[in-house]
Amino acid sequence: MLTSLLEALGVWRAPLSPPEASREEVLTVHSERLVKRVEAASRGELYPDLEHYGLGTGDTPVFPGMDRAARFLVGGTLEGARRILSGERRVLQLGGGLHHAQYDRASGFCVYNDLSVAIRHLTRSGLRVAYLDIDVHHGDGVQWIHYEEKEVLTLSLHESGRYLFPGTGHVHEMGRGEGLGKKLNLPLEPFTEDASYLEVFEALVPWALKAFRPDVLVVQAGADAHHLDPLADLLLTTRAYERLFRLVLEYAEAYAGGRVLVTLGGGYSLDGAVRVWALLYHLFHGLPLPERLPEGWRKGWEGRLGKPLTPTLHDPEGAYPEIPRRGEIEKRNRLTLQRLTELVAPHLLH
Amino acid sequence: MLVRDVMKSPVLAVGPEVTLEDAYKLLLERGIRHLPVVEEGRLVGIITDRDIRLATSHLNPKGPCPGCTQVGEVMTREVVTAHPLDPVEEAARVMRERKIGCLPVLEDGALVGIVTGIDLLDALLRLTGVTEPSGRLEVRLPDRPGELARLTGFLAGRGVNIHSLLSYPEGEEAVRAVVRVNTLETHLLADALRREGFAVLWPPKKHGDLPGGVPPLRLRARPSLQPRPPGDAHLPPGGPRGVAGAP
Repeated sequence: MLTSLLEALGVWRAPLSPPEASREEVLTVHSERLVKRVEAASRGELYPDLEHYGLGTGDTPVFPGMDRAARFLVGGTLEGARRILSGERRVLQLGGGLHHAQYDRASGFCVYNDLSVAIRHLTRSGLRVAYLDIDVHHGDGVQWIHYEEKEVLTLSLHESGRYLFPGTGHVHEMGRGEGLGKKLNLPLEPFTEDASYLEVFEALVPWALKAFRPDVLVVQAGADAHHLDPLADLLLTTRAYERLFRLVLEYAEAYAGGRVLVTLGGGYSLDGAVRVWALLYHLFHGLPLPERLPEGWRKGWEGRLGKPLTPTLHDPEGAYPEIPRRGEIEKRNRLTLQRLTELVAPHLLH
Repeated sequence: MLVRDVMKSPVLAVGPEVTLEDAYKLLLERGIRHLPVVEEGRLVGIITDRDIRLATSHLNPKGPCPGCTQVGEVMTREVVTAHPLDPVEEAARVMRERKIGCLPVLEDGALVGIVTGIDLLDALLRLTGVTEPSGRLEVRLPDRPGELARLTGFLAGRGVNIHSLLSYPEGEEAVRAVVRVNTLETHLLADALRREGFAVLWPPKKHGDLPGGVPPLRLRARPSLQPRPPGDAHLPPGGPRGVAGAP
């Protein structure tokens, strides 16, 4: 849907088709036990303890060929890391972002963790990596895989895990051992809107990047904090996303030598996600933003989906009802930010 | 969950002849607050950091003498104890009622462990906390037979695994059930439960009280705002659903 929109807008550039990641590359962040089970399930052989590894569940079902499909996704992000190492400054992977997959278990639609494989490839080449996760769900898999590593800063902004999957991402999860103070979580109140999100984002992210001084920025750009998303409760509009993406590119210039690798992520409202990622694509390539979406494209997809789509790239004004608790939400987000910075400052700033 | 699942074992104990000075050093070194007192393999008392501080205070009429006072003179002799197979809630109830901070655990007369307030907090965390990636639902159920079964049956029917389930009485006629489920799609589940007539308290509906609207995609005009260009206002409720990308 995204590529057809970009084609209709006349901005689509043929992408690279990177090789799928090898078994060994996957094993740089996952256990042999997990990989064996995924491979077996790919052939239709089901280990009896699959559920223990998060496989064969409602969110991560098994299917024939899943090992290769998962390695294919990893390959794209890993190729991005390779290109950064060979001197390219910006890479956009139009896929990937499977941030829930853990060392020993698949979870939340994610089998292999492409982000962590890429991050490990970068750190093994001597780079310091800052990982920024704006998916509405906590980037738990990436956090746990690099929890004790001092050369990886993880920064996740997400809706509070009090109710939302995966339930983690509290400010107190801040790394262990050498990684202490290098894992930052900013859990936001349900119904957080543009202004409050941007306020805490702009206070936290440059502060942390300046202190950590990364060589490269890896960004998981999930679109599910958009207000149309049916799985979560944040209320960002495309205006906030435009600002976020501009800031991410600015921060990469200012704090990471201009090196940035961006992946997609969660996004479960087709109408919302396709426009958020089209924005990303335009800003990433420095293209002027279109106002309206091509009529023919929209009619075609409305027919296929049986649903109307927003005709403009940006959300219309007043796209959702007013939130009565706005003031309180803003206050609580500010307080969470303050708690987080107080907790990590002694470890991050030295 | 039983006392043996949360107790600390082995447990450090002292004899009654040990001086308060030595006992206090031991507490400081180990970072603990309670010392069971054992004589010939039998529990004869318990002494806490508070007992020692009171006994060695300058306000003590006999005057402080940490080096010449023995544990046996200060310890509490009537010790309330627990058994490894007691349920944790029973240990909690005893500690709350007697206002005490720990229970030595005895099995066949032998001291096999100790359970303190901190261990009970750990138990609470294990009962309520996140140990697996999961979403959380809160549902108010009528307090009558079969309601919880209806809820869990519904979840089972959708292939959703339950990681933890807590319930507690709420008022006279209702029970609050807190369920941790292994799915990203907690919202869709909550909406499906609402359609089945369940009173789902969390997660809330995203956009207020749209009638059965899943997902709530109606783009509503706010009367206070300037009129929008034509073409925006006609979008009906119930928009696209599905996965536009990997999470």
